[in-house]
Amino acid sequence: MLEVQSIRVAYGAATALWDVSLEVGAGELLCVVGPNSAGKTTLINAIAGLNRISAGKLVFDGKDISRLSSHRFCAAGIALVPEGRRLFTEMTVRENLELGSYISAAKAHRADSLERVCHLFPALVPKLEDPAGSLSGGQQQMVAIGRALMAKPRLLLLDEPSLGLAPSIVLDMFRVIRDIHSEGMAVLLVEQNVTMALQVAQRAAVLEEGRIVATGTPDELLARPELRRAYLGLDAEEAVQA
Amino acid sequence: MTLPSSTLLAQSILAGIFTGALYGLLGLGLSLSWGMLRQINLAHFALAFLGAYLTYQLASYGGVDPMLTLLMIVPLFFVFGIAVHWVLSHFKVTPFNSLLITFGLTIIIEAVLQWIWTADYRRLESSYAEHRYRVGELFLPLPELITLGLSVGIAVAAWLVLKRSDIGKALRAAAEDAPIAAAFGINQRALALLLSGLNAALAGIAGVCIALSYTLAPSQIYTWIGVVFAAVMLGGLGRPMGPLIAGCIIGVSEAVTMAVASPSLAPLVSFSLLILVLLVRPGRA
Amino acid sequence: MRRSLTLVLLAGVLLAIVPYLGLPAFYESVLYLIFHWVALATSWNILSGYSGYFSFGHGAFYGIGMYTTATLTSQFDVPFLWTLPVAAAFAALFGIVLGAVSFRVKAVRGELFALLTLAATFVVATIVLNVPLIDGGQGVYLSAVPMPDFGPSPSGTFYLLALGAAVGTLVIALLIYYARFGTGLFAIHDDEDVAEVLGVPTFKYKVAAFGLSCALAGVVGGIQAMFVSYVTTGDVFTVAMPLTVVLMSVLGGTRHWLGPAVGALVITLLLYSFTAGDSAVIGKVAMGVILIVVILFMPEGILGQALKRFGRKPQDRAARASKSQDRAGQASKSRDHAAQASLPPSAINQQLEAAEAGTDSVPASPRPEDAAVGLADAAPAAPGRRAAASGSSEVLLVAKDVAKSFRGVRALKGVNLSVYRGEILGLLGPNGSGKSTFINVVSGHFPATAGSIVFKGNELVGKDAHLVARCGISRTYQIPRPFAHLSVLENVALPAMFGGQLTERRQAEEDAWQWLEFTGLAGRAHALPDDLNLHQRKFLEFARALAAKPELLMLDEVLSGLTPSEIDEAVALIHRIREQGTTILFVEHVMRAVMALCDRIVVFDQGLVLAEGEPQHVMSRPEVVSAYLGKPIEDEHAANVSGVHAHA
Repeated sequence: MLEVQSIRVAYGAATALWDVSLEVGAGELLCVVGPNSAGKTTLINAIAGLNRISAGKLVFDGKDISRLSSHRFCAAGIALVPEGRRLFTEMTVRENLELGSYISAAKAHRADSLERVCHLFPALVPKLEDPAGSLSGGQQQMVAIGRALMAKPRLLLLDEPSLGLAPSIVLDMFRVIRDIHSEGMAVLLVEQNVTMALQVAQRAAVLEEGRIVATGTPDELLARPELRRAYLGLDAEEAVQA
Repeated sequence: MTLPSSTLLAQSILAGIFTGALYGLLGLGLSLSWGMLRQINLAHFALAFLGAYLTYQLASYGGVDPMLTLLMIVPLFFVFGIAVHWVLSHFKVTPFNSLLITFGLTIIIEAVLQWIWTADYRRLESSYAEHRYRVGELFLPLPELITLGLSVGIAVAAWLVLKRSDIGKALRAAAEDAPIAAAFGINQRALALLLSGLNAALAGIAGVCIALSYTLAPSQIYTWIGVVFAAVMLGGLGRPMGPLIAGCIIGVSEAVTMAVASPSLAPLVSFSLLILVLLVRPGRA
Repeated sequence: MRRSLTLVLLAGVLLAIVPYLGLPAFYESVLYLIFHWVALATSWNILSGYSGYFSFGHGAFYGIGMYTTATLTSQFDVPFLWTLPVAAAFAALFGIVLGAVSFRVKAVRGELFALLTLAATFVVATIVLNVPLIDGGQGVYLSAVPMPDFGPSPSGTFYLLALGAAVGTLVIALLIYYARFGTGLFAIHDDEDVAEVLGVPTFKYKVAAFGLSCALAGVVGGIQAMFVSYVTTGDVFTVAMPLTVVLMSVLGGTRHWLGPAVGALVITLLLYSFTAGDSAVIGKVAMGVILIVVILFMPEGILGQALKRFGRKPQDRAARASKSQDRAGQASKSRDHAAQASLPPSAINQQLEAAEAGTDSVPASPRPEDAAVGLADAAPAAPGRRAAASGSSEVLLVAKDVAKSFRGVRALKGVNLSVYRGEILGLLGPNGSGKSTFINVVSGHFPATAGSIVFKGNELVGKDAHLVARCGISRTYQIPRPFAHLSVLENVALPAMFGGQLTERRQAEEDAWQWLEFTGLAGRAHALPDDLNLHQRKFLEFARALAAKPELLMLDEVLSGLTPSEIDEAVALIHRIREQGTTILFVEHVMRAVMALCDRIVVFDQGLVLAEGEPQHVMSRPEVVSAYLGKPIEDEHAANVSGVHAHA
């Protein structure tokens, strides 16, 4: 469904991503893990159309979307749950959700989608008319995911959904992500919380300093040293002891 | 300081509301432009006066009803607004530099006005000015009523659109976080151009109202700048009802000051309020 | 500078001869106008151009000056010349009060400050209009006031007064430009927060510049009052006047002391040549068009553009460049020498392991990323030295229960840690754990919500950032924040001028060369930061932080975005810095650098210190591993129970 072919993305004067390639199949849940400053957010933003790629190609559903303007990615079928939520804080929860279905294809199903989001996140129902900025971190994350679902995407992008959230809320979040995926949505998840990410992923890739250094199933990756070294700087021996 | 009669006071308050309505009408475009697009359009005033002069010309010499001139002015100014915004965003002009550039535009427009219509005072003599309604002891002149009606009507319409419609919400979202808004299909550039066109059209409408009620001279452009900025900041940037309400507060306080104390003390009120707002809650503005 | 000063004074003397030449009065009038505007624009520029705080209230202070003279001469019969210093004093007083109040409010910058000063103009105007002693609505006539007669004629006298004002203002602007005061103002223009953190007393400087600017405007106003001999508020307190001054300065170039004068000359001549009838319109239109064109295409102004084209001090640059190339050559030779004597990182690990645990562990197979250059070439510190450094027990900084909240988000919940002199301490932790916030609080960038930070016996919490810098603390920024309009050399010289040492400008520039060589930037000393690549900009951050000769250097993710070989160079640099005796606090994510450099590490998690100790040991602790890698969904409950916030 999504093919990232050897993309290179700049971040200001620096190159953040060097020659990154990966694939997400229809209905698949791919996790990209890696330490901070590895380039995870840059990668997701490039796929969502927020960052321009300076080399390589993005192909979605067979169409080359590399040169599309930012505001056309949503209509192509890609929705983003950004890092740090980035809700429209001055607007109400309901308005945030409605804006998720701004594109005409999604607008037609707005009422149904809204109902579905409320069903998925019952805690939001009493908060619908409150300003989004007044919600707790966990609730905001729910709104952010809901907003993306309202766009009726075929590929859902999640950028570090566990960031800044209390551990029990992270638990709930990942359960929801697992549920959404089980309904057939293709998901690309970028995460710092490796252990939990690998528990929901079907396949995963490790991003370190702007390059993919390993890919495979979660079990395969856990057995390899790249993960431990990338995060903890420990070489093979110490990693085994840890 | 002698207390005036209650009638005089009431009439002053009414006059203040009428003036305030015009402040609001002028301030609306400025507030939306500044709050949503981060562009401070000083040329708004010169544009309004251009509209006023065009109305004057068409009505006095062309025999056209002043209200009908709106049909010509609105589309023309709409296009002009789009053009100005296009230039400012193409050159990625900072908010502060937009202030300076639009000042340059003001100088140009003022010079053109002076060239065509000279520095002499011009007054539009229209049938509207002859109509006055009477409510009890108070007089309500028609031109001022029209201004009030337009100002309130447009402010409410803007408020409704921003609050309820998809486009309004999209604008608000794009103003807060343009990249994420784009991620959901909102084309900030197109919306910004649209808004700029509308703001310029608003300036034109304000111009027609000015022509109906006031004497025109190119130098008058500058007398409005200060007090309308005060209304915009007091009302809060980007809030459609803000300039109107703040404008009325300023207008009324000026009028009451004029009636109760001395007319020349009126500016003290609005500008002291502005300074206070800037110091106490600059973040909101 | 001396050359410019001499030229200005010379020009002043030459121009002073003009009234005695018997030329038609017309020339004196035009020149009077030019001097008048030169003085006004240049005085405006001292605050607004140099520091970036564009004031739209110059008219207020000009008007105060005018009315002071008008009132004193007509009501109190004070001799005209004596009113000028009083006019300056009154205008300065108002400026200082207004500045003191508005500069305290952080959010009032840019367009808000412009509006505030504009509003002030109208307030002053209204007050003046309504006080009968001053104006009372009638305006003030000065025609009865006796003129001083030191000139050949009345118009000659005004000419000389205006000339004096213009020359005086230019000299003051020039002196400030070349002094430390000017450099500080320019730094404020580019990045006020960073300037404050580097030691520039931003509040004092802004108020001083504003006061000076207003005083000068007051003097010009006083002279003008006499010249026009009839003063009304409507003519004086206008919007057009400050906007004209802005136009002139922007046209000429706000970053140079002579810029506004150039702009004033051009605009005055333009307006003067087009005064009659239709031409007046063309003149005004031209002014508007020029302003727009300059902002869009020539933001540095005429003078700025010309200086860019034809270069600044070409001789100086060539001489310095060759001198620095020699020094740079020597420096790199000594670097290579040191590199050859170094040990590979795995060997360091080996030795440490052996020392600590008494076992021999086999180093891992070579990592592909390290193959290119490898930390081997760049780590000169021998393990022995490292052990000695971490053995030092003098405590340099103690943080106790430091808390910081932002609008309800508790970024730091009560951090306790100590930094020992001479060590390299690593601050680690997942995203959002509070490491950068901690650095921002220590440096004074953000005020702490609670807790205490004691550095060499001084309490830092509650101190203005520039005072923290004076104590001997320096930091770099994760995303480099150089002063965009200052050259590399000037960027590095600034902290030397305002940091702990407070050196004079010339000495500071000498010192700056030394730091540029230390970081390998000597060849780009006169370039602007925009011309550097990321690696060089990061090294500029280093050089700038070091120039203040800090005792404690805090590095915030300096290695992010660098290629492996650039990382190695940076690591080598950090070692050299520590060898110089600086203590280093180091926030980083690039783990292999952390392992190679740090004597001790502290791990943050959710705003608190989670663990502390030697790198190898801390990173193997289970609670640290879970903080980084996360806990599995199933054992969430168990992890919550066993999670411990360890302390060394």
